[in-house]
Amino acid sequence: MLVALVALAGLFVALYLTLYKLGYIGTLACAVGSCEKVQTSRWATFIGFPVGAWGVAYYFGVLVVAMVGLHPSLSERISVSQLLVGMTGTGVVFSLWLTYLELFVIDAICMWCVISAILAALLFVLAWLDLRDTRALASAVALEAADELRGTGYGRNIRNTSEVSIRAIRSEE
Amino acid sequence: MAKKAQQGAGARPAGKRPNVVNSAKRGGPPRGFWYALIAIGVIGVAALSWQATQSGPKATAIDPTLPPLKAQGYVMGNPAAPVEVIEFADFECPGCGQFSALTEPDIRVRLVNTGKIRMRFMDFPLPMHRNTMDAHLAAACANEQGKFWEMHDAIFQTQDRWNGEATSKPRGPLGDLAKSLNLDMAKYNTCMDAETHRRQVMANQAEGDRRQVTQTPTFIIGAQKIPGALPFDAFNKLVEAAIKAAPAAVPTAAAAPADTGKKP
Repeated sequence: MLVALVALAGLFVALYLTLYKLGYIGTLACAVGSCEKVQTSRWATFIGFPVGAWGVAYYFGVLVVAMVGLHPSLSERISVSQLLVGMTGTGVVFSLWLTYLELFVIDAICMWCVISAILAALLFVLAWLDLRDTRALASAVALEAADELRGTGYGRNIRNTSEVSIRAIRSEE
Repeated sequence: MAKKAQQGAGARPAGKRPNVVNSAKRGGPPRGFWYALIAIGVIGVAALSWQATQSGPKATAIDPTLPPLKAQGYVMGNPAAPVEVIEFADFECPGCGQFSALTEPDIRVRLVNTGKIRMRFMDFPLPMHRNTMDAHLAAACANEQGKFWEMHDAIFQTQDRWNGEATSKPRGPLGDLAKSLNLDMAKYNTCMDAETHRRQVMANQAEGDRRQVTQTPTFIIGAQKIPGALPFDAFNKLVEAAIKAAPAAVPTAAAAPADTGKKP
């Protein structure tokens, strides 16, 4: 849930940086020690597209996965949470690299790029917490199902059955 | 997280799954989530559109008590034109390159050649650009042979061949440009080796410092200072305003009538 909110905020930051780079917002100029120096450097483009555009795609992807993952039929899937951790982990690594370039190679700091890096780090933490929650939920569900299986004899109310539950029973036995 | 999955006894409506495990993940997101999502969306769209409408560069009035330019830069156009436009530019700045490629051709055809304005180019090499000083020197050396503007255009058009990201020895590609303009290379090389015009470049820059130029390109159109690469329409609007103000204008920094010499 929080992942989706932060991803939406990041989407706007990346959109701003892209529009700026493409000249739709603000005027492209050179000044000392500011966003311009970062945005006009050769590292502001990555495989043919502005770095900001990659950010837009990234935040949009995370937003879509997080929103789709909110659907009750998917919200308990560990694979969705794992996908988010994988995506945001990649985002953090990329942001770290960009921040390294800003600090030590380009020698200038762009405020909105830093904000994007912070959001990317936050997304990773949130995705990781979400994965932990999903795992806790799955094991709770498995224990519950195990109770059901024991008590009511393969009760019809069991939802998240099968392997997990059976494994849980076995581990108890 | 606040709401961990936890076990507890809950109601079990018949026919539904056991509602024993409570978790924030179950039952869809709460209403507050949708409110927050909408709020972020509205704020984001509003902020972006506000930014987009703010994109017009801000003109500030030049201090009218400033003395006229002492350093002369390079002038193109009719010395008697009613308005002078001064451009402070850095040859290695992509913003200046963009202005030179996109806007300046229009300005030359529609404003300079029609006698409405004359353009004055002032060197403003920024310290962060490693190779820009050599480019400014090369343009000054081309000026010795009467080809400043040709060199100016060539330098901007080939920024990616000689800039700090392309090479650490910009004089090679800059020399190639000089050759392609059929400059007397012996003269050009002597000029470059001796750095004859370094002080003149610095003098041009000092005029910018005196006018609180902090970024490139910066334009002085009439009595207004405008930072940033302007699109033609915005540029033209400022020129029109300056022409209207010109007859009544007291001597400003821009209108320095004695200062129209071609040779710096």
